[in-house]
Amino acid sequence: MALSSCGWTLADIKPQARRTSTDTLYIYTWAGYTDDDLLRQFEAETGIRAIADVFDSNEAMLARIQAQGGGDYSIIYPSDYMVQEMVDLELIRELDHSQIDGLDNLFETFADPGYDPGNGHSIPISWGTTGLIYNKSALKEAPEDWDYLWRNAKELRRRMTLLNDVREVLGASLKSLGYSYNTADESEVKKAYEKLVELRPAIASFNSDAWRTQILSGDLLVAMCYSSDANEITEEDDNFAYVVPSSGSSVWADTLVIPRTAPNIDGAYAWMSFMMRAKVSAAITQRLSFATPNRPGYELLPEDVRTNPNLFPSAETIDRCEGLKPLGEEVGAMYDRYWTRLTSG
Amino acid sequence: MAQADLETMAPKKLKNKLPWTGIFTLLGPSGVWLLLLLVLPTLVIFQLSLVPNIHPGEVVNPSGLDNYFRILDGDNLRVVWRSLTFAFGTTIACLLMGFPVSYWLAQMAPKRWRNILLLGFILPLWTSSLLRSYAWITILSPTGVLNSVLGVTGLSLNILNTNIAVLIGMAYSYLPYMVLILYASLEKLDRQLLEASADLGAKPIDTFLRVTIPQTLPGISAGSLLVFISGLGDFVDPELLGGASSMTMSRLIYNQFLGLSRNWGFGSALSMTLIFAVSISIALLLKYGDRDVTT
Repeated sequence: MALSSCGWTLADIKPQARRTSTDTLYIYTWAGYTDDDLLRQFEAETGIRAIADVFDSNEAMLARIQAQGGGDYSIIYPSDYMVQEMVDLELIRELDHSQIDGLDNLFETFADPGYDPGNGHSIPISWGTTGLIYNKSALKEAPEDWDYLWRNAKELRRRMTLLNDVREVLGASLKSLGYSYNTADESEVKKAYEKLVELRPAIASFNSDAWRTQILSGDLLVAMCYSSDANEITEEDDNFAYVVPSSGSSVWADTLVIPRTAPNIDGAYAWMSFMMRAKVSAAITQRLSFATPNRPGYELLPEDVRTNPNLFPSAETIDRCEGLKPLGEEVGAMYDRYWTRLTSG
Repeated sequence: MAQADLETMAPKKLKNKLPWTGIFTLLGPSGVWLLLLLVLPTLVIFQLSLVPNIHPGEVVNPSGLDNYFRILDGDNLRVVWRSLTFAFGTTIACLLMGFPVSYWLAQMAPKRWRNILLLGFILPLWTSSLLRSYAWITILSPTGVLNSVLGVTGLSLNILNTNIAVLIGMAYSYLPYMVLILYASLEKLDRQLLEASADLGAKPIDTFLRVTIPQTLPGISAGSLLVFISGLGDFVDPELLGGASSMTMSRLIYNQFLGLSRNWGFGSALSMTLIFAVSISIALLLKYGDRDVTT
C-alpha cells in the first residue's frame, strides 16, 4: 500500500529528439522478407545503409517496440490487424502520401483496406493466406479442409504442427465450426478450444518456423503455415503441396509502417517508395516468394508465377477467408486463457 | 591447540586491518553492479507483480496480490506443477546416472586419467544449450538417428515432442553439474572406512548404504538442488523438445510478455514466484549442501 503513490508509467513511449541518422535505416521485419541483394540495391541507389532485424510474431514485435520505447527502427512490417492495434496505441505515424512514389500501383482491393482506411498509416507490401502444407506421397488422401486433421488424427499422431499463434490456431478451429476468426463470444471460443483438445494428441508442437526442416526431412506429414512460406517449399519440391482449407482460413497482408519514434523518417519514405517500384516488387516476389499487392509488379511476373494458386489464389478462395481484427484487451485475455489451457493440458 | 588458534586468528587480524575505504574499493564495483542490475530490477518486477492486468503504457499503481491469486487458478497451477515435475524428474535422472559415474571416476578410475575424463564430462557445457537441444531433435525425431538404429530391429519410437523428450534433454543438459559435484564429494570418501566396514562383515550393499551414502550426503543434496534449480527455470528444452502440452513456467512468463495478452503484471507475479522458489532452494543448498563444494 505504501507503494500506491508512486504511479510511474510502464514503458512509456515518447518520440525521440530527432537524431539526424540519415545514413542508416533500421528495419524490423519478418524472417525471409529481405535479403542482402535487396538491402544492397537500396544502399546503392539511395546511399542509405539498411539493416534488417527480424521478429517471429506480431505480438512479440509489439511487446519489444513497447518495451524499448520504439528502438532505432524507422520501418516496421506489422500485419493488418496489428496495424490497427498500433494505430490505437499511437505507436505509428500517419503517412504523408506525397512523400511516397508509386502508391497508385496498388491493386484496388489494397488501396482502401478495412484495417487501415485509405492506407493512412500503412502500405501493404505482401499478402497471403494461412493453410496446410502436406507431404503428398506420405498421405493416403490429400487434405482439403481443417476437418481432415481431426479425421486422421491417429495417422498424424505427432507428425503434424500448428502455428505458434493464438489467433491463427483458435481461429482455424473457430472457422471449422462455422464461427468467425474474430468472435468475441466466449462460448464459441470455448467450443473451438474443446475441439482443439481432441486434436491435441496428434499435434507435435506449436511452431511457426521449425516445421520447415521437419517437413522436408519427413518427420512431419502436415503443417499449418503461411502461403508465402509454403510456396518456397512447394516450388522446390514436387512432393509437397499447399491447400487453403475449403471452409476458409485467414487472409493476411503485411505492411510497412513508420513508428512514431523513427529516427530516420526520410529514409523510411525512401524505403517505401523503393518497395513500391514495380521492378523491385516483381523481383522480391520471385526471390522471396510472397504475393505482391502491386499491379505493375504483378504484371511483370512470368506467367507461371502469376497463375500459381498458392501465391495468388482465386477470388472464390479469398472470399471464403477472413482477415484478423484486433480483439481488444479483454477478449484478447480470454483467448490467451484458453491458449494457456490448451498448451498446459 | 596453540597452532590452531594462530591459524584462526590470522584472518581476523587481517580483516580488522582493512580500512573502510579498502572495503569500498573491493566491494564497490560489484555492489553497484548488483544494486543496479539485480536488486533494483527485481524490485521493479515485484512492484509490477502487484498491479493486476497492467500493459505497457499504463500507470503502475500497485493494488494488491490479485496476480498471485491468479497463479492458484487451475490452468496456471498445472503449469507450475509441470515445471516442478520436470525439475524433479531431471534431478532424479541425473542422480541415478551421475552417481555411478562419479563413484567410478573418484574411486576406481586411474588417477592420471581422472582430469581428462572429467574434462570429457564438462566439454558439452562449452557448446550452446540451444545446439544441444537441436542435437536431440535430430536424434529423437521420427526419421532421426534413434529410429534409424531401431529400424534394424523393426521397432520405431516417436518420442520427440513429448514430456519424455523434455526430460531426456534436460537430464543431458544438467548431468555434468551433478557429476562434478558428486565427484568432489566422493573423492573425499574415506577408503579406510569402507575397508573397515568390509572387515567387519558388511555386505557391499550395506557398506554402500550405511557408509558411502551418509558420507556423500552433502554432495548429493548440493548436486540435486543445483540441478533442480536450473531445471525449474529451463526454457530451451521444453520449448524445443516439448509437445503441444509442455507448457512450463518460463514459457508461460514468455507468453505474458511477448504473447497476445501482454499482461506484464501477471508475468511479473509468475517471475517473482519462480525467483522465490529458486531462492528457497538456494537457501536449502547453503544450509545442507557440501560446504567445500558450494563455497
